[in-house]
Amino acid sequence: MKKNYFLLFLLFISSGLLAQEPLINSRLQGKVVDSRTQEPVIGATVQISGVTHAVQTDLDGNFFFQTGQKFPYHLIVSFVGYKKKQVTAEASPILISLEEENQLLSELVVIGYGAVQKKDLTGAVGSVSDAYIKSTNTSLERALQGSVAGVNVTQTSGQPGGGVSIRVRGGSSIQGGNEPLYVIDGFPVYNSSTSSGVVSGAATNPLASLNPSDIESITVLKDASSTAIYGSRGANGVVIITTKKGKANETKVSYDFSYGLQSVRKKLDLLDAQGFARLRNDALYDTNPSRGRYQYLSEDQITALGKGTDWQEEAFTTAPVQNHQLSFSGGTRQLRYLVSGNYFNQDGIIRNTGFDRYALRVNLHSDISSKFRVGLNLSGARTDSDIAPSGIVSALISMPPTATIYEPDGSYTLRNPFENIFSNPIAALNERKNQSVSYRVLGTVNGEYDLSEHLTAKVLFGTDLTEGRDNSYLPASIYEGYSVGGEARRGFSSVFNWLNENTLTYTRSFSNRHFLSALAGYTQQSSQRQFVTTGAQQFINDVTSDNSLQSGNVPLTPTSGDSEWTLHSYLGRANYNFASRYFVTASFRADGSSRFGKNNKWGYFPSAALAWQISNEDFFETWSRQINTLKLRASYGSTGNQEIGEYQSLSTLTSVKYLFGDQIVTGFTPARIANNNLSWEQTNQFDLGLDLGFLANRLLFTVDLYRKVTRNLLLDVQIPYTTGHTSSLQNYGSVQNQGVELGLNTDFGKGLFGWTGNFNIAFNRNKVLEIGNDARFYTFGNYIVEVGKPLGSFYGAVTDGILQENEIDEKGKYTGNAIPKAGDRLYKDLNKDGAFTTAADRTNIGNALPDFTFGFNNSFQYGNFDLSVLLQGSYGNKILNSNAQTLELFNGQQNASVTAKQRWTPESPGTTIPRAKLDPAPVFSDRYVEDGSYLRFRNIALGYTLPKSWVSKTTLSSVRFRLVGQNLLTFTRYSGFDPEVTNGTTISPGTDAGIYPTAKTVSAEISILF
Amino acid sequence: MKKLLIFSIGFAAFACNSLDESPKAVIVSDTFYKTEKDADAAVIAVYNALHSSQHTLYNRLMQISTEMATDDYEAGPRARNAHVRALSNLTHDASNDRMLELWRQSYDGINRANIAIEKIGANPGLDPAQAGTLVREAKFLRALLYFNLVRWFGGVPLVTQETTSLTPENIYVSNATESEVYARIEQDLKDAESLPAPSVGGRIGRATSGTAKSLLSKVYLTQKKWKEAADKSKEVIDSRWYDLFENFADVYATSQKNGKEHILSAQFKGLSNWNGNMLAGSSAPTDIPGISGDYADALHREGLLFESFEEKDKRKYVTFGIQYTSPTDGKVYTTHPHFRKYFDETVPASPYESSKNTPIIRFAEILLIYSEALNELNGGPTSEAYAAIDRVRARAGIAALKESQPGLNQTAFREAVFEERRKELVFEYQRWFDLARRGSDYYVTKLKAAGKVNAQPKHIHFPIPQRELDLNPNLKQVSGWQ
Repeated sequence: MKKNYFLLFLLFISSGLLAQEPLINSRLQGKVVDSRTQEPVIGATVQISGVTHAVQTDLDGNFFFQTGQKFPYHLIVSFVGYKKKQVTAEASPILISLEEENQLLSELVVIGYGAVQKKDLTGAVGSVSDAYIKSTNTSLERALQGSVAGVNVTQTSGQPGGGVSIRVRGGSSIQGGNEPLYVIDGFPVYNSSTSSGVVSGAATNPLASLNPSDIESITVLKDASSTAIYGSRGANGVVIITTKKGKANETKVSYDFSYGLQSVRKKLDLLDAQGFARLRNDALYDTNPSRGRYQYLSEDQITALGKGTDWQEEAFTTAPVQNHQLSFSGGTRQLRYLVSGNYFNQDGIIRNTGFDRYALRVNLHSDISSKFRVGLNLSGARTDSDIAPSGIVSALISMPPTATIYEPDGSYTLRNPFENIFSNPIAALNERKNQSVSYRVLGTVNGEYDLSEHLTAKVLFGTDLTEGRDNSYLPASIYEGYSVGGEARRGFSSVFNWLNENTLTYTRSFSNRHFLSALAGYTQQSSQRQFVTTGAQQFINDVTSDNSLQSGNVPLTPTSGDSEWTLHSYLGRANYNFASRYFVTASFRADGSSRFGKNNKWGYFPSAALAWQISNEDFFETWSRQINTLKLRASYGSTGNQEIGEYQSLSTLTSVKYLFGDQIVTGFTPARIANNNLSWEQTNQFDLGLDLGFLANRLLFTVDLYRKVTRNLLLDVQIPYTTGHTSSLQNYGSVQNQGVELGLNTDFGKGLFGWTGNFNIAFNRNKVLEIGNDARFYTFGNYIVEVGKPLGSFYGAVTDGILQENEIDEKGKYTGNAIPKAGDRLYKDLNKDGAFTTAADRTNIGNALPDFTFGFNNSFQYGNFDLSVLLQGSYGNKILNSNAQTLELFNGQQNASVTAKQRWTPESPGTTIPRAKLDPAPVFSDRYVEDGSYLRFRNIALGYTLPKSWVSKTTLSSVRFRLVGQNLLTFTRYSGFDPEVTNGTTISPGTDAGIYPTAKTVSAEISILF
Repeated sequence: MKKLLIFSIGFAAFACNSLDESPKAVIVSDTFYKTEKDADAAVIAVYNALHSSQHTLYNRLMQISTEMATDDYEAGPRARNAHVRALSNLTHDASNDRMLELWRQSYDGINRANIAIEKIGANPGLDPAQAGTLVREAKFLRALLYFNLVRWFGGVPLVTQETTSLTPENIYVSNATESEVYARIEQDLKDAESLPAPSVGGRIGRATSGTAKSLLSKVYLTQKKWKEAADKSKEVIDSRWYDLFENFADVYATSQKNGKEHILSAQFKGLSNWNGNMLAGSSAPTDIPGISGDYADALHREGLLFESFEEKDKRKYVTFGIQYTSPTDGKVYTTHPHFRKYFDETVPASPYESSKNTPIIRFAEILLIYSEALNELNGGPTSEAYAAIDRVRARAGIAALKESQPGLNQTAFREAVFEERRKELVFEYQRWFDLARRGSDYYVTKLKAAGKVNAQPKHIHFPIPQRELDLNPNLKQVSGWQ
């Protein structure tokens, strides 16, 4: 039965072409309706069996035949999403009711340069369920979280509109980009920030400009057979996003509104003013015992202090978030439209931070003739971000509670009053302007023309325009602007990215058993980025902020830049299947990229896949009642990664300044050694998959095994400084990711009670195979990249208790301190040289990559109520809690964790917490590597739809209410703000150093359909 | 088929934008070094390696990387960097990142000099006189950088050509011997002696014949080539290109920059995009309202350098400040001594924006070199040796040595010269070099006397950075640090 889908597809295409009028022997009038709702089915194909004559139902589901056939004859009626039906027409008129086909296998899955039905897939492709996209309106990446096996989404900042790190089947590049390629309505976008660098803080996420309410479907391409069609950009997976379209004669006006409140999940437990004052007394006494025990404050003064300033309390707030979405869609068969407008406003949980989005979309699709179709997808958005400057979270937790926000005279306290300098974070949040505004227009227009019954030509033009404006002002009233008398800066950046794709598709079936579709194309894409920054210092007052640079006494050197890249590609793909049993897919892409060395401009990326639909074999009949689907898939292919930025193969010159007397002069010096052989990273991936369907395919089980090996890594190889350079970008080394992904989908329909579920779990193992130059390892801050070990390995010391009074001679050399004292932390002498040294006694103390990640999404529906629950989690990943390390310095110069109360003192020596001292050397040790595993209720939504009987009395057609909780419950042993942290790079993931914490949100929503 | 053909031709003809990269905003090396201005820019890039923004060689880095390891300085309360504190305590090792910066920035400058020498020399289209001057300037700067390196790290790799590819012979360069390095330094400086004389106009802040001769005398002195040192410093003195300012404070006055005493200075200009003298800010006080200093780079320890100055010594309160006027309330505050040489009174609220230059070599030092060399050469001080040091003392307003301590023996005179250097050249990145060139016994004795008990003989060198040893199998660690 399923095997006929290709045939139907062909018939659909040919229906408009073949309009010969033979002798008329009968006239048949009929109507096609949905068996459940009795609503008309529009656009269903009705074909007389055995002949090529077919018609389509009109707006009322009606159709009409004039045919040479005589009654009775067989009709084949089909429509996407419904089970195909054969009926016998005995007389006119006839009513045909179609049954909905279970969605799990029949849905169309959008793949690169095309779409296939899920059951015909040969590669490993995951799609985000429609229901889930609807339930997460905050951002696109949120919809990916926990919904597709092998796609790991981690927030890099809780800043509203802030960055997200996405890894499809693990990170394969050490220094190149690892984010997947996004294809939005056919336009490939790599999600890189376009900031001019004027604002401080976490990078904003350019994809935040995309309105998630406009998304129809999200598909994630994972294996090489599906990604190789994107060639040099496919190695990190591809996320295909298709936006909603209008449907003929289905006029819809809808309005959705949600309002929510966000708050921080937890605050860190820190010392209050009294605790801090005692700590500082101890630290001062430790250094200068001769000056007594109360060098900071006396015990009486301490008692009078109270709790002091709770800097976290001052900064974290309950922040509102709201979303308005208005959309109109509908049209005729000739012209379908969707127009939507969106306003999204999210305040951050740190005061005076936030994000606004204003988005508009127009999608138009028109059938100009039976052979010629055009389409337009156009979106425009403005986003405004008020960004938390970098260092804010660190300052909030480090600022001593004895310090105050304001001085007695009402002016701001400028900075930490003690020796460790950082500014007053509340002053910065209140007074500093750190704002980024961006305009983005992303549009594609395409025309499709049927050259013949089987051959279609498509031409697509697209453009992605981004204009960004960064505004920064540091007033003289706060520390950051104090010594420069106020500093204003502005940055402008613009990206013009354009695309042209020209493809031919050939689709044909032979003798109803051979189905062939082929694609060939040529595409070109080019992008130009420009930026300008400028600024001034020394303002008379702060009144004009950054709006009048000419008012500053000292202009800052303006900067500007321009970079361009171009990609030329030839691509081809052939899909063949025999009787829906044996499937073969082969694809090929040749990419010419400007980014690579002149000897290596072109890369070639082939792939092949085989699938065997065993359940369609005759011999399988016996089991086909129990097992509805049994399919084996295998694929192998090659993809690339070219994310290194522009001009990296050239010996470009850097301009530098010098002074002769008071005259500023400019010099030029080479920034790097040229590498004419620079090439892309190549990933070869093998995938083996199995699909199993039970209970009329309402229960689907998918398992994929994969191994991907990335070679010729784009590695900035460290070279001796005697060359005059630090590093050179080379193609060195290789990394392997292998793993298992399991997915279980259920769809127990609609009706009074319904349940759809999705459980997915992915195990990925990462291993560095080679790093070039015969090196075995290299270290990178607190990380080690070591052959045979996974990326993201922490490299640090191993703690070994606390030095006691009587052990100084024996164990003092294991403290790393020149003059050891009781109460110092002891570390293991790993290299057995008789002493502990920070540089030499380090080892691999854990890894930031998870053993597995999983998502479990369930949607229940009972009558007018619906409930969806998404559980999501990560297991086995470690987090470097850098905040905790800072908070355990106990130097009395900045605030400390409450663990300071258990610190070593001569009176209480039995502890694992070291003493207070003014001048501790920070040692990264296993104490600050914590278990980052978590299980969280990512999303809980309870919905209620007003009964039709009530609504029908109004002009409305449907009203739905929902209560949504995001991140409401999290189970974790991690002691920091939130376990969902990373700094985003592949080489050093999982560090929690002053990251803006993730919020939890409760919101209420209403959706009205007019 | 016809339609297909049209379609195919249609899009094939549309192809544009070449895959060749031709950047619009950056210059590519192949298209540069063509004109005299290009050549000048290549040499300016070498000067830039001396100092640019914060933490570059002659803008604070040498203070926190080398001078911390002397008896006159120690890490101030706001020096939070563990590497700096380790240097100050003499617990540093090969993993110290300050050392790595000394090494990196020096070789970066050397590479820039090599490029300038090669590319300018290889371009016959340039004006020969101008090209010759630029090449000699680059050689002078290369000599200065190697002179620092050989004193810090001993026999370092001698790279005299641009590295253009990553072949093992290009990147795994072995140590040269100290004498090989010195031979190259002397040769480069001899070449640079034929630079234009300082009297030739338009060379403000740039190397001249006088600069080359002056540095050469110091190179000889460091190698204990007393005769050559005496002759060369005498040549500079006799040339009458340079003289002492009458007033010691003028050495650091912004109005007197690149004046008659300044042979070569690191050039600074405040409030002009971070071209200020950072040492000024990092030594300014923290406890005076409105002065946003850091007091990080040098803590004054009681009973040492400050107290060693006679009260009448005019250098004392130019070098140190104990009273500062608050820009906020206009009151004068008294504080414990801070290094004040570069504190720019015109921008008290922004001490990092100091426009004061830091001397690299100045005429007072030439007099002291001459004095020292004569004392060593003749087995004791000659009257010329006395005369030279006494010019420096006279300007400082203290008694002439000839009057107060006539008839010193060689050892005592040597001590007197070193003590004079110490007071005259405070905060001019000289102290560590002076201690180290006297040998390990002297260094350890002096440091221990100042309370730095961790001082060891090996500390007359810094360890070659571990990173370099890891990346270059042919590189050997300096003796004492293996």
